[in-house]
Amino acid sequence: MNGIVDTIKNVLKETDLVLGWTTDPVTGVATPARFHDEKEAEQAVFDSTCAHNLAVHLPRLKDSRVGIVAKGCDARSVIELIIEHEVQREQLAVIGVGCGSLLDVKKIWRRYGYGVAIKDRDDSLLIGGEQVNRDEFIQRKCHGCLEADPDIYDVIAGEVTGEIPTDTVRPHPLHDMFVSLTPAERRSFWREQFSRCIRCYACREVCPMCFCRDVCIMQTQIPRWAGGAVDAKQSEMIQLIRVNHLAGRCTGCGECERACPVGIPLMLLLDEQNHAIEEMFAYGAGASLKARPPLLVFDVNKDIWGKG
Amino acid sequence: MRIGVFVCQCGTNIAATVSTERVASAAMALRDVVHAESIQYTCSDPGQRTVIAAAHKYALDRVVIAACSPRMHETTFQRTMAQAGINPFMMEMVNIREHCSWIHSDMEVATEKAIDLVSMGVAKVRGQTPLFSSHVPVVSEVLIIGGGVAGIQAALDIADAGMPVTLVERGPTIGGNMARLDKTFPTLDCSSCILTPRMVEVKHHENIRLMVNSEVEQVRGYIGNFEVDIRKKATCVDEEKCTGCQICEQKCPSEAPDEFNAGVGETKAISIAFPQAVPLVASLRKEYCRLYIKGKCGICKKVCPADAVDYEQEDELHTEKFGAIVVATGYELFDWRQAYPHYGGGLYPDVITSIQYERMLSASGPTGGHIQRPSDGAEPKEIVFLSCVGSRDESIGRPLCCKVGCMYIAKQAILTREHIPDSRTYVFYMDVRAGGKGYDEFYRRAQKEAGAVYLRGRVGKIYPRGGKLVVMGADTLVGENVEVEADLVVLATGIDAAAGAGSLAQRLNIPYDQYGFLSESHPKLRPVETTTGGIFLAGACQGPKDIPETVAQASAAAAKVIVLLSHDELETSPMIAEVNHMRCIGCFKCREVCPYHAIEEQGLRDGRRVAVVIESLCQGCGLCTVACPPSVISLRGYTDNQLIEEVTAVLR
Ligand SMILES: Cc1cc2nc3c(=O)[nH]c(=O)nc-3n(C[C@H](O)[C@H](O)[C@H](O)COP(=O)(O)OP(=O)(O)OC[C@H]3O[C@@H](n4cnc5c(N)ncnc54)[C@H](O)[C@@H]3O)c2cc1C
Ligand code: SF4
Ligand code: SF4
Ligand code: SF4
Ligand code: SF4
Ligand code: SF4
Repeated sequence: MNGIVDTIKNVLKETDLVLGWTTDPVTGVATPARFHDEKEAEQAVFDSTCAHNLAVHLPRLKDSRVGIVAKGCDARSVIELIIEHEVQREQLAVIGVGCGSLLDVKKIWRRYGYGVAIKDRDDSLLIGGEQVNRDEFIQRKCHGCLEADPDIYDVIAGEVTGEIPTDTVRPHPLHDMFVSLTPAERRSFWREQFSRCIRCYACREVCPMCFCRDVCIMQTQIPRWAGGAVDAKQSEMIQLIRVNHLAGRCTGCGECERACPVGIPLMLLLDEQNHAIEEMFAYGAGASLKARPPLLVFDVNKDIWGKG
Repeated sequence: MRIGVFVCQCGTNIAATVSTERVASAAMALRDVVHAESIQYTCSDPGQRTVIAAAHKYALDRVVIAACSPRMHETTFQRTMAQAGINPFMMEMVNIREHCSWIHSDMEVATEKAIDLVSMGVAKVRGQTPLFSSHVPVVSEVLIIGGGVAGIQAALDIADAGMPVTLVERGPTIGGNMARLDKTFPTLDCSSCILTPRMVEVKHHENIRLMVNSEVEQVRGYIGNFEVDIRKKATCVDEEKCTGCQICEQKCPSEAPDEFNAGVGETKAISIAFPQAVPLVASLRKEYCRLYIKGKCGICKKVCPADAVDYEQEDELHTEKFGAIVVATGYELFDWRQAYPHYGGGLYPDVITSIQYERMLSASGPTGGHIQRPSDGAEPKEIVFLSCVGSRDESIGRPLCCKVGCMYIAKQAILTREHIPDSRTYVFYMDVRAGGKGYDEFYRRAQKEAGAVYLRGRVGKIYPRGGKLVVMGADTLVGENVEVEADLVVLATGIDAAAGAGSLAQRLNIPYDQYGFLSESHPKLRPVETTTGGIFLAGACQGPKDIPETVAQASAAAAKVIVLLSHDELETSPMIAEVNHMRCIGCFKCREVCPYHAIEEQGLRDGRRVAVVIESLCQGCGLCTVACPPSVISLRGYTDNQLIEEVTAVLR
């Protein structure tokens, strides 16, 4: 079995570039990188700080042969993008990596200082040399992880466990609190949350399925779905539109919430919708290449009355 | 911008609950409204003249008419606009009748609501731009699906008007269910005598092309320009060569179920359905043929004097263009066996269906017109009819009435007495529904002349006892249980749409109900139209019907088709989808959802691939507009901004 560097080198023989990670020299944690040749590939890494979903870059690489390193959750995005014809399966070489849950680097930095040394080894997490409870610093998006190992890949780098890490099998940390709220309390919960939104659109920028970007309805005035003012009502409105646009398309990769600089728990909305879609249409976005998105088919042969 | 608002009183229809004067004066306060008034009957000639005069006097460029439903008068007022020299699409109708005055009683509240509705209309019309219809040429050929009496009637009417017709029948002959009937209520004229000449006329009509053993597979296009794939199934017999001599049928060693005779008697693997079949051509059913099952036979080919048998024959796929389609796929009898285990569920041979009885009565039928018990061939003396088996029965989820059962039971009772003078007939019924002209008289005749004993009540159980069948029921009029010992029991089974009607409807893009019956566009005003332009309904495919109604509806559908195709060109609605190319991201979600295949990919000069709407195909359904994530595809006359303005106006 090859390590990440060798695998990328191999894949580069047949592709124009590989999307992966390298270590940021200043902070020592992973940052996305594009590798074009063997020399660049020497810098590749994969570790528990590789939180980014690199599939977000695929729609803009339609004319290249692309290699992409993908965790289980990222692979779901790749699948959904193929289903929606944003990329072709043939143009891709997917390098699958197994994931044992990711670290919330921002949280660590907030607690221990920017750039603090992080050592994540098997069962121990060392931050600035101090042993800490790893559970406390897991990425929010890893809670409720659907797939730790990729469902779609051409090669595997490193090891895959075949299991979802046990510490992640539980819903969003705010889920229990949220469902205990009355409708009125939920309203004010979201008003409060969105009063902090600064309209940076990071949530959209990192979302692999939000590939409209330049003409995104969150900003356009034609049609004028929301005004330009940065206030709680407008921000709530544009986010609800975005959530709606992801109905049956959101793969639950959790990037939007991770990217939000003010910590709005967007996944509470998306998880809820994803469950509804699953229940209504038995469809989970990105679960299978063969499935057809329920809201994108006009099935003339579907016989609703069972007559004929 | 100069907007005129006209608030209709509709006599007292609106004015009794909405103060139209107050609505008009409130409208005057709305942005860009330069004139508003209340009119007694806006749709009347003086009413329309008032609108035209005001349009000239106040130099209006947009108009809001607050009146009834646009389904009622939108075209009327679009014409008024044209007369006033304003683009017809610069008029917005606001429904303050069905949506307001008719459903409210409090004048205050209703008036407030009417004002809200009018302000929405004004907000919407402000964003309106002139639209222009285009014209598409119309194909003059007509497709008729189903060759029962409905399809035959429609085909002849349309063909007589000079338009070419293709009649597609999936069975081996036309005639449908009527061809299986003996005599017909309420006049007792013989079914074949009135139907057969019409069938022959179809065959020889210069404007009719008959395609039997054929089915519609795919339908594309739209009113005036349908493109249809028709599959003509291989029958191993060359239609041109076969003379209908039936020698093959006589010599064929493989027995096969006789569907035309509803299972009374048997036929052969190669056969002609009945002696008057049109076309009079044999067809071979491979599933029963010894050659295909055992690999050895070939007798029919050897004996055919016309050399018409061809085992190599293959399905033919025809793609044709049509301007209009009439669906006349008829009905079939509900399979009662599962739902009524207490009637034996099909195990007792002497419990038969009405259509089987009809075949026994027919002089050209398998028993030569002799009524015989299937179990022993004996002539029955005591015959019991059960109405509503699978009809009007909530307990099995079938509340619908089969419409013809009461009448054909009366007919069959009369005919029974004619065939077997010393027979006695009993009829268990729910109600007798005899609403047509001469129908009640006919049913009385069954009682008086044929001596049929009518017992009101549902039968609870049928079971065999000593060579007879015991029919246990209740006479609810007397309040007693009754038991009749019968030689033969005839079930008037319920009626369903023909098998496959639902999937055909899906292919045609027309609605249907849970029994597969196809839905008309409006039960009173558009009874033969469907919601898809250019597709019409005739006969029992739309709901249970007797022959007079079937024929009347078929002629009505024919008239609609003739009107439609009497023009060389059709005006298309300009309210169709439009893509803003500069903002389209080329995701083609619109193309995936479009039911009319009206979206194609186009390359722009800057290299981007974007969606473009094919104007002649788009029906303005709007599905694409909701599928488009960045909302860059919109419906003309209903743009997102117009709708947002409407909503904003009502929330203001
Ligand atoms: C027992 C009985 C007795 C009756 N007696 C009388 C009577 O005395 N008087 C009276 O007025 N009415 C009577 N009726 C009613 C009468 O049968 C109907 O009114 C009449 O047959 C309806 O004609 P139709 O053309 O609409 O349908 P059908 O006769 O059912 O014809 C439909 C045709 O379409 C074809 N078809 C179906 N699906 C397709 C497809 N997908 N593609 C191509 N072809 C297709 C079928 O093969 C058939 O040939 C009786 C009915 C029954 C059941
Ligand atoms: S909405 Fe959020 S969770 Fe869903 S696909 Fe986009 S980034 Fe991932
Ligand atoms: S929010 Fe909607 S319009 Fe904006 S990028 Fe996402 S999917 Fe496209
Ligand atoms: S990332 Fe957060 S702050 Fe930025 S637009 Fe989205 S919700 Fe608002
Ligand atoms: S409105 Fe859109 S989906 Fe409907 S027919 Fe036109 S292009 Fe197709
Ligand atoms: S759905 Fe919208 S953005 Fe996508 S191709 Fe169609 S018009 Fe363009």
